[in-house]
Amino acid sequence: MSQSLRPYLTAVRFSLQAALTLSNFSSQVVERHNRPEVEVEHTSAELLFAPMHISRNEHEQVLIEPSVNSVRVSIKVKQADEIEQILVHKFTRFLEQRAEAFYVLRRVPVQGFSISFLITNRHTETMSGAKLVDFIIEFMEEVDKEISEMKLFLNARARFVAEAYLGEFVY
Amino acid sequence: MEDWRRIDIDAFDPDSGRLTLEDMRPPYGSHVSLQELQPKISQLRSAAASGDFKTAVQIAMSDPPYSADDATKFQYLLAVLEVLTQVRQHDISTILGQLSLEQQDVLVKYLYKCMSIPEGQKQGGILLSWFEKLTQEFGVGPIVRYLSDKNTV
Repeated sequence: MSQSLRPYLTAVRFSLQAALTLSNFSSQVVERHNRPEVEVEHTSAELLFAPMHISRNEHEQVLIEPSVNSVRVSIKVKQADEIEQILVHKFTRFLEQRAEAFYVLRRVPVQGFSISFLITNRHTETMSGAKLVDFIIEFMEEVDKEISEMKLFLNARARFVAEAYLGEFVY
Repeated sequence: MEDWRRIDIDAFDPDSGRLTLEDMRPPYGSHVSLQELQPKISQLRSAAASGDFKTAVQIAMSDPPYSADDATKFQYLLAVLEVLTQVRQHDISTILGQLSLEQQDVLVKYLYKCMSIPEGQKQGGILLSWFEKLTQEFGVGPIVRYLSDKNTV
């Protein structure tokens, strides 16, 4: 692991550990409703905790927004050039369309971020909190590798196609 | 008329018991202005310029301007960011070892706040190593206290 990635992931890990202390909390506004307070628009301010912003640089950031019964984790994946922007967009969209399979994945990312997770008290009750943290950390490690791998494949493929196609014109 | 069914009528009811961010702010006796804070900022800068980062961090982390307005807080934040980024990697642990419990909590607030502004994001590496050393030293405690603290920097 590179030298600057480790502190970044450590910071995210500790922040998530602190934020993942969730309890069952019914809505104070609507009877018999129970909703993730971080997602509710006109919620009471006492239910939201201080948001945590962790950034490695301008392009790689994590925003953790904790509340009494839910935590929203938004990740900005590194996008150095236009190819990476497209790849990240396609990749995160692919995952988001299959959000039920991931349980904690949010269908739409928060404004300004590539992908968002929403962890509620239901998740921490049925799953191990430590494993949830591990999952997010592993995702962050893997997604960078995945994107750069896809970029290499894409370039190799583009070169091959271009050679095959333009070979016609070489005498 | 716009979608009147979606209007949040409870927001207009003074007896609804709903609290806003303003209500959550702790009552401060007096409000610190930028003029009052200026001596402290220059004290910070001179301590950092003379290489005495231990004192600089100690000054920065004690009695932060909680009651000031956002513009004043931002000026102070920039000064703190400047000090934090000037400290060398291997000095961080020694400086951290001499912080009191309150000062640790304030440091966590400033680290998160610095990382949320563009000026701090450029210095992400050094801020993250501060954070890593802090968690090595004190564990998850200061972060938990940060979450529910309504005194913002």
